[in-house]
Amino acid sequence: MTKRKMTSTSAEELDILEAHLAGTLKTVTPPKDIIQRLSERIHMPDREEITLRLTDWRRLFFVFGGVLSGMLVLITVARTLYYFAGRRDG
Amino acid sequence: MLESDYNEEDVLLHASQGDRDAFGQLYARYVERIFNYVYYRTGNVHDAEDLTARVFQRAMNHIKNYTDRGVPFSAWLYRIAHNLVANWHRDRSRKQEIPLDDLPMLPTKGDHPERNLVRSQEQDALLRMIRKLPGERQNLLILKFVENMSNAEIGSIMGRSEGAVKSLYHRTLLALRDQLEDQNLNLEGE
Repeated sequence: MTKRKMTSTSAEELDILEAHLAGTLKTVTPPKDIIQRLSERIHMPDREEITLRLTDWRRLFFVFGGVLSGMLVLITVARTLYYFAGRRDG
Repeated sequence: MLESDYNEEDVLLHASQGDRDAFGQLYARYVERIFNYVYYRTGNVHDAEDLTARVFQRAMNHIKNYTDRGVPFSAWLYRIAHNLVANWHRDRSRKQEIPLDDLPMLPTKGDHPERNLVRSQEQDALLRMIRKLPGERQNLLILKFVENMSNAEIGSIMGRSEGAVKSLYHRTLLALRDQLEDQNLNLEGE
């Protein structure tokens, strides 16, 4: 008798707890601006993708080489222009 | 698009072939559910937004690897979310940041607007207790109450049998009840 009463009390307690959980853990509605920002963000490359690009040494080598070559071309053109301008003045 | 026109198999097939519009449909369908899950697991809106975006970015990058082996797409998404949230918690514990106990309020569905932004002390206490539970127990409660999933659906996400989920749920309730007793908190019947 006592055991049955204890079991039913325990079941009642759990029912009450479940009701409170249902009242506490409710579905929330994310603000519209968050949803908007999220949709914009999924069109952007993932952070991990950017990190992967940076750890791709071959790609990094070509990018670095390309930037250096570009700078050398610019310096050579600038030097040539300076040389011709100097000859005309002299 | 009408709900009746939506065929997830077709949409998944197109999305896995790189169709961004198809992925957009999946995004529209699941974004709020994933946001809810991450929001309750992280306890703050900012990280929930960031992690939700990363869940979909990762899903978009790996959707070609997703093959339907009886696991629904939603289960696959929740698993991605679960892994990212676990990493987030690990990073936070490494940085020893102050834990966020008080979940900021966001409007809930189906409630009267005036009641939306009021949370009772009992609810606050219960939320704090939930957030101190082990991760898989938190997952279980969120999927059950926030997402209204059945034990079988939760099992497919957590990689457990329906019976194991039922048993874990019962143990979680008992643990919460014991914690309430320890803290002398008495929940009244609603």
